[in-house]
Amino acid sequence: MLALGLTGAALLAYALATSATGAIVAGLVGVAASWSVSAWTRGSGAPGGTVLAAVGIFVAAELAYWSLDQASVPDEAELLARRAAGLALRASGVIFLVACVLAALGLRPGGGLALETVGIVAVVGLLGIVLVLARAVYEAER
Amino acid sequence: MTGGVVRYATPKLGGYVVLTALGLLASLIFGRPELAAVAAPFAVVLAIGLAVSRRPDVRVHVELDRDRVLEGDEIVLEIELDARDSAPRLELLVEVPRGLELVSGANPMALRLGLGEERLLELRFRCTHWGAPRLGDLHVRTGDAAGLLVWEQTLELGTALRVYPRPEELRELVGPRETQLFTGNRVSRAKGEGLEFADLREFVPGDRIRRINWRASARRGELWVNEFHAERNADVILFLDSFLDARRDDRGTLDEAVRAAATLTERYLLEKDRVGLVNFGGVLNWLRPGTGLVQRYRIVEALLNTEITLSYAWKEIDVLPRGTLPPKALVLALTPLLDDRAIGALLDLRARGFDLVIVEVSPLPYAETPPGELGELAFRLWKLRREGRRFQYERAGAPVVEWHEGAPLTSVLEGVNTSRRHARARV
Repeated sequence: MLALGLTGAALLAYALATSATGAIVAGLVGVAASWSVSAWTRGSGAPGGTVLAAVGIFVAAELAYWSLDQASVPDEAELLARRAAGLALRASGVIFLVACVLAALGLRPGGGLALETVGIVAVVGLLGIVLVLARAVYEAER
Repeated sequence: MTGGVVRYATPKLGGYVVLTALGLLASLIFGRPELAAVAAPFAVVLAIGLAVSRRPDVRVHVELDRDRVLEGDEIVLEIELDARDSAPRLELLVEVPRGLELVSGANPMALRLGLGEERLLELRFRCTHWGAPRLGDLHVRTGDAAGLLVWEQTLELGTALRVYPRPEELRELVGPRETQLFTGNRVSRAKGEGLEFADLREFVPGDRIRRINWRASARRGELWVNEFHAERNADVILFLDSFLDARRDDRGTLDEAVRAAATLTERYLLEKDRVGLVNFGGVLNWLRPGTGLVQRYRIVEALLNTEITLSYAWKEIDVLPRGTLPPKALVLALTPLLDDRAIGALLDLRARGFDLVIVEVSPLPYAETPPGELGELAFRLWKLRREGRRFQYERAGAPVVEWHEGAPLTSVLEGVNTSRRHARARV
């Protein structure tokens, strides 16, 4: 578990050092998996540290992609300040959002096979819609 | 000045899609609601970011403060931005060609423009090398607020800059042996109207009264008049050998030769001489001798386009059209003496009776001794062969002066004049 977390962190560091975008996702997934397994082995439902972990992973992802921008073209001072403020605002939003999600999920943590199947289909459908929309807008603009 | 807009997704969009998908799927598969909670922020950023994403409307106007400069001068590129829409992140990159160096301003730069905001950005460049660099394209990249999509546009600046070689200070020029018929600043050996005293002769009807030398006349008891050297111009042909050059980094013998040619053109034209150009290389071009400012610009423009073009075709001086090399012209050759075609052409010119002066732009500072004993021996042999060539020219009556990198051109020309004076004294 610790090894998984360390590997994730190392991947993230490698991604930042070499601007390898694929490694950012892999690193974040590694860290998230490590935290998740840790929470799972400790038992209990949604752990108390979920909000903290969600904010941490989100801020880490934002900072990682921001650093990629900086590596190619550095921001001028005003833009830097605005982006930092924007990130702080989004992080606060994430706290609120995760708290809401946890509250909603807490009402019915397990729904059985049928509900989970519906959930999977919904997730795949959501991602499909996102991709189709992005592609359609791209084609239209091109 | 517009190019097509290309929109593409950033790595962040792809990454967030993957994180969302993995989080939600893992949450469902393992029945862990906290994983869905972790994935939720990414999903929300994706949904809101893509829903409100639109291309920021920013107008860009680019202007260069001047398009003709001397080497070492600075130019300012003004980029005027007019945001019809707010641009959360705008990246600008100007492609800087060889020969220009950024002095002040940021390139590339990333900035933010509010709704209706106007910005004037200044990039100051130093022109470090002569030539006709075309200021490259301006890449404008705008991103949306969430950083998920970017729009990239390339604007062709299309500004052709002319960077003229900076002329050197010259104390004296190489004087031609023969002058032409037109009036100029050179003292001709022939007698005629002029200022330089030449001789005395007896008065003949038709002579002007003001040319009578009263002191000589009083001594001799009859009228004697002064004779003067006529003031004429000369034809000078600059022979630029562009078959090969020795180069290291951004310096080379051709660069030096072009600088020298530009300097000589300016100075000879100031002396009212007619100046022509023969660019003898892979691509052959020439300019017939002429005078004045227009000719100066013609020659300098031709010099700016000079480059080494690899060619195996054998070329002789016969390929030049008649009139390019007028009789009695002084041919001033600027050559590294590396290519046999140029070396042969110069000997041919001398054999045809042209007054030939060779300024050898030395390639030695750009050459390195090859490693090993054999390499050293080969290098010495190469240098000896060059000495032999120089001697061949000297024997043919064409002085060769070696010009090493960094030495002032004026000292080289003084060396030429000295060697020509000595040659005349020997004759």
